Amino acid sequence: MKDIYELLNDIDIDETEFEEIEVDELEKARVKKALKKSIRQKKKRMGWKKNVAAAAILCGLSVTTIGLTFPAYAGSIPVIGDIFRFLDNGRTGLYDDYKEYSTEINMTDESNGIRVTLNDAIFDGKTISLTYSIESEQDLGDQPILEDFLEIKGVSSQSGSAHISKVDDHNYVGIVTATNLDRDQEDVAKIKWGIDRITLPDQQYKEIKGSWKFALALDATERKDFISEGSSELAGVKVNIGKISFTPMSFIVYYDQIISKEVRDKWHAVDVEIEIRDDLGNSYSGEGNGGSGDGYNMNWSKTFEKLDENASKLIITPQIMLREHTPDNFGSVEITKDGPKEIPIPEKPGKGKEEFVLEDIVIDINGLSTEE
Amino acid sequence: MKCNENNYIQRLQRQKEDALEFIVDKYLPLIKGIAYKILSPLQNDGIIEECVNDIFLSIWNHSKKFQGDAIDFRKWICAIAKFKAIDYYRRTSNGKEFSRDIIEETVEKSAEDELVILEDKTELIRLINQLEPVDRKIFIMKFYLGLKTEDISKKLGLTESAISNRIYRGKKKLHTKAANLDFGGSLV
Repeated sequence: MKDIYELLNDIDIDETEFEEIEVDELEKARVKKALKKSIRQKKKRMGWKKNVAAAAILCGLSVTTIGLTFPAYAGSIPVIGDIFRFLDNGRTGLYDDYKEYSTEINMTDESNGIRVTLNDAIFDGKTISLTYSIESEQDLGDQPILEDFLEIKGVSSQSGSAHISKVDDHNYVGIVTATNLDRDQEDVAKIKWGIDRITLPDQQYKEIKGSWKFALALDATERKDFISEGSSELAGVKVNIGKISFTPMSFIVYYDQIISKEVRDKWHAVDVEIEIRDDLGNSYSGEGNGGSGDGYNMNWSKTFEKLDENASKLIITPQIMLREHTPDNFGSVEITKDGPKEIPIPEKPGKGKEEFVLEDIVIDINGLSTEE
Repeated sequence: MKCNENNYIQRLQRQKEDALEFIVDKYLPLIKGIAYKILSPLQNDGIIEECVNDIFLSIWNHSKKFQGDAIDFRKWICAIAKFKAIDYYRRTSNGKEFSRDIIEETVEKSAEDELVILEDKTELIRLINQLEPVDRKIFIMKFYLGLKTEDISKKLGLTESAISNRIYRGKKKLHTKAANLDFGGSLV
């Protein structure tokens, strides 16, 4: 006898009559969570005897683990399966392949009724990205601010970014990144991530003090470095592409800018942004990692989404922005013995801002895959 | 191994969870669209959500019964979605006092409908299994998927009166057999 599901195989339904409804990532995540919960419950019911045996063994083990400050728990269902993608929410696609190559950590630390779980970590040789989720009994409002630090051991200058998003009244997910600015890439990163305080802007900046701490060592993902010689110059601004580092989920472009004396005398600062497309017509979205320098001659790096493996050329368009510093957009202080002292902004003839585009830099990456 | 367009059905049938995630990503807008269309008159978003979850769970639990390629798969899950949503509609609206009259006006309630609503869907399935293949299709389209006689006739290349006739005869058969059920008769 066939059941309804088998019978439905024979029915030729006209699926064009159905209309799709727009669904956001949050809703997808919610459905996935509910489904996983039901299928795991089912599995649990089927295997309870095994669980009893496992529980007995665990009892024996737990005696030895008491006292460890490593309250990792297994088998918890993350609120959001792929936080990278969830936070990106289809906007850029930069993080689409991160989850696949990241390491699942799932360490949890609890303090003051708030559980912070470090979900995934990934290190591309330059930047560390961590995803986390927060479970809280009390509502933390729409945009809680974590007073956190992400430290890479042995690195003196680093930049970073953070993003947090509310899932529901008790759950939040976020991403925090740190980029090593002062050195070339490493194969292993020893990192510490901790939160001292959570500030709630929605509740008169109430502070929740606590201590959530994680430490781990991360191996860098596989990567291939490609040294390129491309550069482009116009009106006293020169941009050199130094190195491009390809990882399975992204590629990182290192570039620097050299600014002539004429431009320095006219403008307070110069920024260079790069945009990349390939010979197949793909354009790549990316996120700057920040850079260092004196405001004129700077070293930058920018991470882009995964390279199309069929691409043989990268076409890089540098965009230059010359800026004037005004008291509204800029302030700088000098730390002296008597406390901070404000440095006046020097007068320069360039006013407002000026933007222009340099000629494309074309980099031949043919043979990248055979180089090994 | 990662789940992709080419292997997700296979992986689903092997009960790999990433395939479940894959089909949620791929088909949630469609499945929700179907459930919404049928269930929105109930004005209860909770029901729609529950039904959508139930549809995916059924696809997961019964994935081994599916046969065919990706296009067939899409049709198959559409059919499951539609029959589940109708099932939810019938169950929910049946439990509500106010909608009962409206339903009686718009939808003709048949013995089969009652059977679907009441219980023992397995018995009905057993009865349907005993019909001829063509009648089987007609009955499923009519009573599980809520298709109009007109649409069924187009699909099967039969005239509307032929469909009506077959439904009438099929109903008669089912009535006799269903009556046997009531008396505790065994049909196996």
